[in-house]
Amino acid sequence: MALLQLTDVRRWFGGVRAVDGVDLRLERGELRALIGPNGCGKSTLFNLISGTLRPTAGHILFNDRDITGLPPHRIARLGLRRKFQVAAVFDDLSVDDNLRVAARTKRAAVSTDALLGRLGLSGRRSVLAGVLSHGERQWLEIGMVLAAAPRLLLLDEPTAGMTVRETDATVDLIRAIASSGDVAVLVIEHDVGFLERLDCAVTVMAKGRILRSGSLANVRADEQVRSLYFGTAA
Amino acid sequence: MRDAPLPVALAVFAGLGLVPFVLGDYWTGQLARYVLFGLFAMSLALVWGRAGILCFGQAMFFGIGGYAMATVTLGTFAAVPFTAALPALVLAVAVAAAAALLVALFLFWGAGIGGAYLAAVTLALAAILEQAVRGWYGLGADNGLSGVPPLPLGDNPWDPRPIYFVVLAVAAAVYFGLLALLESRFGTLLTALRTNPERLAHLGYSVVALRVAVFTLGGAIAGLAGALFVATDAFASPSLIGFALSAEVLIWVALGGRSVLLAAFLAAILIRVAEAYLSETLGPWWLLTLGTLFMVSVAAVPNGVLATPLLWLQGRLRRTS
Repeated sequence: MALLQLTDVRRWFGGVRAVDGVDLRLERGELRALIGPNGCGKSTLFNLISGTLRPTAGHILFNDRDITGLPPHRIARLGLRRKFQVAAVFDDLSVDDNLRVAARTKRAAVSTDALLGRLGLSGRRSVLAGVLSHGERQWLEIGMVLAAAPRLLLLDEPTAGMTVRETDATVDLIRAIASSGDVAVLVIEHDVGFLERLDCAVTVMAKGRILRSGSLANVRADEQVRSLYFGTAA
Repeated sequence: MRDAPLPVALAVFAGLGLVPFVLGDYWTGQLARYVLFGLFAMSLALVWGRAGILCFGQAMFFGIGGYAMATVTLGTFAAVPFTAALPALVLAVAVAAAAALLVALFLFWGAGIGGAYLAAVTLALAAILEQAVRGWYGLGADNGLSGVPPLPLGDNPWDPRPIYFVVLAVAAAVYFGLLALLESRFGTLLTALRTNPERLAHLGYSVVALRVAVFTLGGAIAGLAGALFVATDAFASPSLIGFALSAEVLIWVALGGRSVLLAAFLAAILIRVAEAYLSETLGPWWLLTLGTLFMVSVAAVPNGVLATPLLWLQGRLRRTS
């Protein structure tokens, strides 16, 4: 069984078909990028999978359970964690407390020390999250979604607004997470350079539907994708 | 998120404990009422300042606690088989908590209301409740219920000092109890809830359950304050339950500083003392003065006139220690 399986998932806002019949399969431990032009329904799809929105139609199975229409906290408890596009951390809590809240259980599934080391935040643990730099906030949130040993991570543009060096470090982090084999990662990203470095399967969305899936090279060679996403000149 | 420095809190309660030895009976009795308003203000600081739920009708629970205390000790309803003060107090707190639980379930679970809508809906609920009480003859309608028996403390019911010390002890117990609660994991979760409820939900926490829990606790504390107030004042009136007191407590808490319980507590007492002195000299201008002060403070010291220095001091103490 796939870890995540979407069957004909739809979400309409009045007459707007934001997500219009998406089928998607993600295996355990798989790393996959979800790309597509602005407004193609990527973030709406994340909202549907994580429970922020209810699908108008269709079914979502996660780890052999039907999670269609469950509220976000119930879905999160099953091991599906989401990172928001604009880093969502608790500004009034320390870095430590942010991770502790994220871990949920008293004895954290993942050692906070190890996690902080991995994120390069060891020296910042008692600092309030509100004073962290943009890149540090993004990393802290990645740490928060990792803290409870999830089965699936949804990362919405994790490198948005990052410097080149920060982006590189983030790519390494995501690859390290995925290579452990325990965690599947679905990541929304725009930056082609990032996708090249991530070196994983790519799914292209357009107008609320899945257009193509495959390796980055295959997808980039596709005429329809070129005209739609990369621009004909690419 | 910390509250006021502990030494300051201890000094405040110790200082208030000395007041009856300095002031006469009249002012001791008045101060007992103000301390209860301070306890009431703490309940709103918890719900609004700590959990981010802007309740515009907190007096509902103060009033419900008060009327429950009055009707039980007066024996208004034959269905309640006792009139003793202590069980009445327990029942009053339970009734206020149950009312808050009901309102919270309706607001957060049923309707999913938040933000400015929540303020509007709680405001409307308080107004409706006040109208209902004003029209309810069994509760004395507009006249309220007078002759509520005082708490049975000592032989002389006219001595305000025993009730003052009891009230102050209750306020201190609630304050330090809440402090312990806020230092616990629950307090961390409340801060997270206030800062970013969506993030919290996506980490596996039920935002509804947390909001219902803290709102119910706030209602219970408001009910406790209201019940003790009615026993101290010997009078339950519709003005304790409605819109005006709800707005007043909001002003106290905002002026003092909503995120610091001690600031809200002190602000309620100080504003009440100021009102007692100034409303005679200023007459109708008192409300205008308070309103102006409120507007200026919200713009100039958004974290509160008392909370801002208290938090600054807290930061200084932590850095040096």
